[in-house]
Amino acid sequence: MLQFAQFAVVRFAMALFTLLMVSLIVFTLMELVPGTCAERYLAFKNTQGSGISVEDIEAEKRRLGLDRPFLVRWASWVGNVFLRGEFGDSCILRVNINDLLGDKFLISLGICLTALALAYAIAVPVGIISASSRNPWLNESLRFVSYFGLAMPNFLLALMIMLASTVWFGESLTGLFSNEYRDAPWSVDKFLNFLAHAWLPVFILGWSATAFALQTVRALMLDEQSKLYVTAARARGLYGRRLLWRYPARHALGPIVNSLGFDLNRVFNELPIVASILTLTEAGSLLLESLARSNDQQLAGAIIFLLTASIVAVNFFTDLALALLDPRVRKSVIGG
Amino acid sequence: MSDALISVRDLTIRFRTDEGLITAVEKVSFDIAPGEILGLVGESGSGKSVTAKSLMRLNGENTVYDPESRITLNVPGETPLEVLSLRRERDMIAIRGGAISMIFQEPMASFAPAITVGRQMVEQLLIHTSLTEAEARELSIEMLARVGIPEPARRFDQYAFEFSGGMRQRAMIAMALSTRPRLLIADEPTTALDVTIQAQVIDLMKDLVAEFGMAILFITHDLGVIAQTADRVAVMYLGRIVETGSVRQVIRAPAHPYTRGLLDALPKLDDLDAELTPIPGDIPSPLNRPSGCVFHTRCPQMIAGVCEGRVPGYTRLGDGHDVACHLYTEQAMEAAR
Repeated sequence: MLQFAQFAVVRFAMALFTLLMVSLIVFTLMELVPGTCAERYLAFKNTQGSGISVEDIEAEKRRLGLDRPFLVRWASWVGNVFLRGEFGDSCILRVNINDLLGDKFLISLGICLTALALAYAIAVPVGIISASSRNPWLNESLRFVSYFGLAMPNFLLALMIMLASTVWFGESLTGLFSNEYRDAPWSVDKFLNFLAHAWLPVFILGWSATAFALQTVRALMLDEQSKLYVTAARARGLYGRRLLWRYPARHALGPIVNSLGFDLNRVFNELPIVASILTLTEAGSLLLESLARSNDQQLAGAIIFLLTASIVAVNFFTDLALALLDPRVRKSVIGG
Repeated sequence: MSDALISVRDLTIRFRTDEGLITAVEKVSFDIAPGEILGLVGESGSGKSVTAKSLMRLNGENTVYDPESRITLNVPGETPLEVLSLRRERDMIAIRGGAISMIFQEPMASFAPAITVGRQMVEQLLIHTSLTEAEARELSIEMLARVGIPEPARRFDQYAFEFSGGMRQRAMIAMALSTRPRLLIADEPTTALDVTIQAQVIDLMKDLVAEFGMAILFITHDLGVIAQTADRVAVMYLGRIVETGSVRQVIRAPAHPYTRGLLDALPKLDDLDAELTPIPGDIPSPLNRPSGCVFHTRCPQMIAGVCEGRVPGYTRLGDGHDVACHLYTEQAMEAAR
C-alpha cells in the first residue's frame, strides 16, 4: 500500500510537470500565430468600420501587457491558469474565456468520456469472448460489424440518423437542449432534457470508438493467449472460463487500460465534426470556430490546454489503474 | 510392455495449416517405466516438444492424431487411461498436473507475470488435491524450501520477475512436483540457464526424482546433458525416432549416422585440437518431408537406390538398443545370404 501511495505521488508530480511543459508548448504555439491579440482585435474593429492607427496598436499592446518578454508573459499566463483557473479574455470577443466556455467544456468532456466508457464496456467483454471463441459465425459477424464501424465516418452516421429521424419521426435530433432549457440554470429537468439529447452524440462517437476498441482488445487477447504462461497454466489443469479470466484476460487488461488515454484523444478529435453536424453549439465546435473562423488564439489556447490537461489526467488515472493491475508497474523504478 | 508407466504406440501427429496437413511426428513409439529417465534428443523441429506436449494434450486446436496412435497412461493401482481418447478439458486434469507435470524452457515466460508465484502454486493444488487453502500454502512453501529457495515464505508472495533465472526454474520444479505427479516432462529445462546453474538444477531434479519415485521425460538438444541425466535415450529426427537405447549404448556406440553426427558436433574438452564435424545441410522443412529414410538428404552414408525409396524398420543391435537405418538391414540381409 505504501508502495502504491509512493507510486501515486511520483506519478502525480510527473503529471503536473507534463502539464507545465504542455502549457509552455501551447503558449508558444499561441505566439506563433501571425499577429498579436492587439493587432487582431483592432483589425476586427476595422472591419466593423472604425479607423485605427499604429499608435492605437501600440497602446493596445501595452494595455494587454504584450510588450513584456515572452517568458514573463508565459509565467503570468500559466500562473493564472494553475493558481486561479483563469484563462484571461478572448482576443476578439473581449469577454472572459471562463465565462465563454462556461459548462461547454465540461459537457464536451462528459460526452467524450461517456462515449469512451460505453465503448470499452462493450468492447472488453465482447473482445475477450470473441478472441476465445471458436465459433466462426460469431467471429465473422463481429469482425464485419467492427470493420463496418471503423470504415463508416462519424459524420455520415450522424447524417443518416438525422435523416431517418426527420423522415420517420419529424424530429431533427439536433442540439443538446430543448429551447426552453438552453439558457436556464442547471436543474433536474434540464439535466433530463440534456440526457434525452446527449445520447445521440454519445452513440455516434461511441460507435467508432467501440469498433476500434474491439479490434484492440481482440488483438491483445490473441497475443496473450499464445503466450507460454497460458500453456503452462493449462498444463497445471486449468481450463475453461477460470483459465480465460484469470490468465489471458487478466493480463490483457493492462495494455487495454493503457490505450484509454490515446482513445480519449481520438474521440475528442472527432467531437468537433459530429458537433457541427448536430449543431451542438455547446460542445466541441467552439474550438473549430475559434481556430478557423476568427483566429482567436487566446480562446484556442485555452481549449487546447484544457483538452491536453484532460488527457494528462486520464493518463494519470490509467497509470494508477495499471499499477493496481500489474505488479511490474507498481514496483518499477519510477514508483520507487 | 505392461509395466510401463506411459506407453506411446505409433504416435503420428499432423497439423492442419493453410498449406495443408503437415506431419510433425510419425509413428513414434516408446515406453517410460516408473522412476525411469528417458532422454528425448533432437534438433529444433525434430518433433520432440510436440511429442511431449501430446502426452498432456497441450498441442493446439489444429492438431490431428492418426487413428492408430495410442498413448496409454498406466498408473499402478489405477485403471489405464487412453490419453488420446479424452474429449473434455475437465477430464484432462488427470494428465495435466495430475499424473503428469511439465516444466518449460523459459521459466520466466511460464509464470503468469501478474500473479504471485505462491498463488499459482496454491491454485494448482486446489485443483488436484483436497487440501484447504491454508494447507496448500503450507505445502507450497515447504516445496519452495525443498528446492533450495531461501526465505520461501517471503518468496511465496513475490512475482516471477523478482526471482533470478535459476530460482525461477527451481520454483517451476517445486510447482510441478507439488502435486506428486508420476511423470515429469522437462522440456529443455536448463537451456536458458547459465552452465553452473544448469548443473545445480539437473542435480536437484535427479535428487527429487529419486525421492519422489517419479519418471522423467527429459527433452533436450544437448547430448552432454543427456549423458549426465538419463537412463535411456531416444534420438529424434524430423518426427521419427531413429535410434533408441541405454545412455551407455547410444553414447558409447552410436549406430545411426545422425546420432554419430550429433556426437561429433559436440566440443570435446579432453581434446581441444579435435575438429568439430557439423552435420552437413539443414533440417528440411516439414512441408517437404524427404521420402524413404527422412535423414537420407543429409546422410554421409546414404545408400543410393535404397534410402530414398524405403522407410527403414528397426534393427535390434543389443538389449534395448534399436536403430532405424538401412545400413543395418542391408548388413543383416548380407549376413543371411
